[in-house]
Amino acid sequence: MSETTGEAPEYLAARLRRVIAEDSRTAELGIQVSVRGEHVYLSGSVSSQQCKEELDAVLHEREPELRLHNDVRVVEAGEPGEPEVLR
Amino acid sequence: MIRIAAVGDVHLGEDAQGRLRPALEKLPEHADVLLLAGDLTRHGTPEEARVVAREFHDVGVPVLAVLGNHDYHADAASEVTGVLTDSGIEVLEGDGTVLPVGGKRLGVAGVKGFGGGFEGRCASAFGEPEMKAFVGHTVEIADKLRTALDSLACDVRVALLHYSPVPDTLHGEPLEIYPFLGAYQLGEAVDATGTDLVLHGHAHMGTERGVTPGGVRVRNVAQPVIRSAFTVYCLDA
Repeated sequence: MSETTGEAPEYLAARLRRVIAEDSRTAELGIQVSVRGEHVYLSGSVSSQQCKEELDAVLHEREPELRLHNDVRVVEAGEPGEPEVLR
Repeated sequence: MIRIAAVGDVHLGEDAQGRLRPALEKLPEHADVLLLAGDLTRHGTPEEARVVAREFHDVGVPVLAVLGNHDYHADAASEVTGVLTDSGIEVLEGDGTVLPVGGKRLGVAGVKGFGGGFEGRCASAFGEPEMKAFVGHTVEIADKLRTALDSLACDVRVALLHYSPVPDTLHGEPLEIYPFLGAYQLGEAVDATGTDLVLHGHAHMGTERGVTPGGVRVRNVAQPVIRSAFTVYCLDA
């Protein structure tokens, strides 16, 4: 059980994933949430640095006592490498 | 050789204008056409669609697109389609188009697609009306895809989807969510129609390369997978 929220870590992770998907400020369906004690780890990718920072803001607002580790990657948007030739 | 640029899941919000534009400026050096595999917006609003329209406007090659699930979120899919169409992006949903490329005919048919899962591990149209509606939506879309691909008179035939037609390109995603990422009926439509290539998005943690049971190459072009503004495939015509 989480000492902070009083719920099993599996339910806490599921609830945080739904918040990330359903809050209009984040609207991210592909973020993985892992809970280890009072620590929450986020992984996956988003399209901008601001989207990454919104994850912090939304989760901190919901669960200010949890220690959040935002390991989400910002997707690259540069030119591609060599094309793939399909024969 | 027909050069096809593709990307999906760009998820442009209202503050995202210009994010892809530097790479797109050189697009005609790389490709003859650009295909967008859905999830062009974050919330599916007309305002976000205007950002997408400006981002992909006048890029020097024809632009074709399908919508993704994010583009439906605000219940404004027809307005989103209208905004994109007005800017010159051709939005496909159960239809197709044929483009002349270097003396050859490139045919592209597109649908959003939907979930349901893959052969042996999929949902059935049985029981509650909600379940029948879920599977019915997939079957209806797959039938539209098959008809649209069949109707193309072309030298190279490409299917453009948002959801995946095969599990191969989902590797890296949790197994438990595969039924929300694609459906085998889409692959069945592809295999029945002499299609040369399938492009899709939606699976951010998946892998790029796969193949249908019938041997058609499948590529997951979700931007988090290809890690660039677009990627390019060259096909012999």
